[in-house]
Amino acid sequence: MDDFILEMHHITKRFPGVVALNDVSFKVRRGEIHALVGENGAGKSTLMKILNGVYQADEGSIVLNGEQTIIRNTNEAKAKGLGLVFQEFNLVNSLSVAENLYINRLTRRHGRVDWKGIYKEAQQFIDSLGFNFNATDKIEELSAAQRQLVEIAKVLAIKMDLIVMDEPTSSLTTTETEILYKIIKNLKQQGVSVIYISHKLEEVFKLSDTTTIIRDGEVVDSGPTSTFTRNQIVEKMVGRSIDTEFPHKQCEIGEVVLKVDHITRNGLIEDISFELHKGEILGFAGLIGSGRTEVAEAIFGAEPYDKGVIEIQGKKVAIHSTHQAKQESIGLLTEDRKETGLVLAYNLIWNITITNLDKVKNGRFISEKKEAKLAAELSKDLNIKTPSLKQYAINLSGGNQQKVVFAKWLFSDVDILILDEPTRGIDVGAKYEIYLLMNRLAEQGKAIIMISSELPEVIGMSDRLVVLSGGRKMGELSHEKATPEAVMSLAVSN
Amino acid sequence: MRRQLPKRSCRLQFQIERGGRYMESNVIVSRRKKLIGVLREWGLVFSIIIITVIATIIRPAFLSGQNMLNILRAYSTIGIASFGMAYAVIGGGMDLSIGSTISLTAVITMLIVNSSTVATVAPASAALLVLLVGILIGATIGAINGAIMAAVNGKLAESFIITYAMQIVVGAIAQAIVRGNFQAAQYRSGLFKEFGIGITPVLFMLAVALIMQFLLVKTKFGRSLYFLGSNMSAAKMAGLKVRKVRFLAHTICGMCAGLAGVIVVARVGSASVLQGQNYELDALVCVAIGGTSLDGGTGSIMRTLLGVMVVGFMMTALNILGVQSNAQLIVRGAIIVSAVALDVLNKNLKLREVAQ
Repeated sequence: MDDFILEMHHITKRFPGVVALNDVSFKVRRGEIHALVGENGAGKSTLMKILNGVYQADEGSIVLNGEQTIIRNTNEAKAKGLGLVFQEFNLVNSLSVAENLYINRLTRRHGRVDWKGIYKEAQQFIDSLGFNFNATDKIEELSAAQRQLVEIAKVLAIKMDLIVMDEPTSSLTTTETEILYKIIKNLKQQGVSVIYISHKLEEVFKLSDTTTIIRDGEVVDSGPTSTFTRNQIVEKMVGRSIDTEFPHKQCEIGEVVLKVDHITRNGLIEDISFELHKGEILGFAGLIGSGRTEVAEAIFGAEPYDKGVIEIQGKKVAIHSTHQAKQESIGLLTEDRKETGLVLAYNLIWNITITNLDKVKNGRFISEKKEAKLAAELSKDLNIKTPSLKQYAINLSGGNQQKVVFAKWLFSDVDILILDEPTRGIDVGAKYEIYLLMNRLAEQGKAIIMISSELPEVIGMSDRLVVLSGGRKMGELSHEKATPEAVMSLAVSN
Repeated sequence: MRRQLPKRSCRLQFQIERGGRYMESNVIVSRRKKLIGVLREWGLVFSIIIITVIATIIRPAFLSGQNMLNILRAYSTIGIASFGMAYAVIGGGMDLSIGSTISLTAVITMLIVNSSTVATVAPASAALLVLLVGILIGATIGAINGAIMAAVNGKLAESFIITYAMQIVVGAIAQAIVRGNFQAAQYRSGLFKEFGIGITPVLFMLAVALIMQFLLVKTKFGRSLYFLGSNMSAAKMAGLKVRKVRFLAHTICGMCAGLAGVIVVARVGSASVLQGQNYELDALVCVAIGGTSLDGGTGSIMRTLLGVMVVGFMMTALNILGVQSNAQLIVRGAIIVSAVALDVLNKNLKLREVAQ
């Protein structure tokens, strides 16, 4: 019964100043789907990086297939049958899917690369997995979700005994997620073990046989998934009891602050109209590619729109640039905090104050003292955890980075805040803090648009929901009427 | 399996210079890292000291005040051009038109100064006039560069092409004005000549450096320039006026080249279309040696000034030591390569620090 493919015994890993993993033991049975859950920074990634030879453990041992092994680098890990699906993409954007899949094992015929054979083989492989793109497609032409699938295909193309998937569904739509579930179950039947890292507990319950919970570098609990309840897992991850997943806000919804009238951007969004009130959280639901981000970019002046009118506080405005949008008191928290939300190489002070440098001036020039003081006040208010505000943004955890992006927009004190996937890739505890923050902002009289791919979240947090599909608005639902079924049926119509 | 931690770790306020300012990142670092940190911080000053010591041992005259002044004066125009280049580079671009801009302002300056009416009637006003005209010509060329860059939302690659094209065009205009003739100075004295002698060019350089460093650190424009160079899309999404900043940076860069063109004429007393030849590369070398990453988003004017001094001291030392000019070029090439290599090394180290 207990046929372990992988045993990691008493792993300890120290980094200067912190113990990332403390005496962690972790076992995976052959052919099981093993969920690994924990907050960001709990040590999941470090453990997986040790398994893949990116890091070496300070103490402890790894037993693979009953044999003690040392894994020095990722190539050795691969040779030993360990596959890793990265959260970040390691694809060459200008090459085709097939080229990416076969990049390190190009077959030759008569001394030349056999492209015909490779494309044929690749296409068959992609079809067998049920993916909806062609071997000849260039990576840059694919959506984020499709790229994630290519990343998965890359690992599946080689026969592995154990595959680690680090949040594979974070950028996938429902259909693609279903395909992935099927693939994972297939792998299981073939006797392949999967270590599945996810923040989405629904997935954990749906897929996994065993669950291991890590907190602060230690294993808190491990056992068959069926013996846990959802709340038990969350409590163990966070280390405190959770009352409600989505906190309630207490505020009156006021007058209309933003009115979007028949906004069209040719080919991307069509004829979108809605109103946003003071103190309101308006949810934007829809599948990836439904035009939610494009609407946000149009309102924020990041991309031009071809037709339509935007009114702010009852006044018509023509927004042609992001700077103008900021002047009109609109802020956009982008969906990619690492690329467009923050400058990772700069410290927190710089990142926070950039939206409103006039505020840190003493007379006509920037006062670093004033800047540091104002940034410190805001960071304390938002409970940003960092040893110093002079820390580079890249060194912070996802949740804290996101709070910095919030701080950045609060610093310029905008009235209308558009949040594009504000909780993507951050852990349960930090998510809850973001929810509380959103409520607080709404209570202070700000108007918030929340775009989210996580249905429970966008339903739970919003006063009203706008559902988009294919660049069109499919409907509007009140909080009471917004059931997951109602939202999904609108999101997949068209 | 087991790997030893660095035996003696020490905590130090790890200061990394970014954008000409000091930021502390309170991390525990090993001795090795500490050493690298010190080198990163003081490497330029060390280099200047080492060059001076070696050169002085072999030729004691190297250390004389007169020689120091000579070096600084000789490199003052390269210095001013380098500061402008530093703005372009920090903003994630580059300006290859500096050389031609210097040539053009040099020949026009010479034409104005040589036209007897202006120079004899009011020598002082004539001197200020050429200064103004030179800076204006530079500003115009820089503004065109900047406007095109802003229009195409250009980054490093675009700036390369656009300013290279500008280099050719401006060079041709300068050529057309003087028709290949070498212009010798006809002036004997006056304020204009003062621009080029004694300590005046050095004071010009220091003044420009101070003003530009101040603008970089203390104004909205300066901060925006860093953001633009480090991450253009993040800068845009923070609601910054990306195009305006790009435009301004190139305009200021052009102004620096214009000023350098005027001073170089005052200093050498002649002007030709070849006056500014290779200035863009010399400036780029000083900027790179000054620790400004060619990727943009980091750097400072004060460090660029140190970079200028390293190059100036190095080349003068080689001259004094009687190293052949071909060998000097090889050294020059080696300096460029090592500056870029250091930058890459620096970045890798940073990444490693960050990976934890």
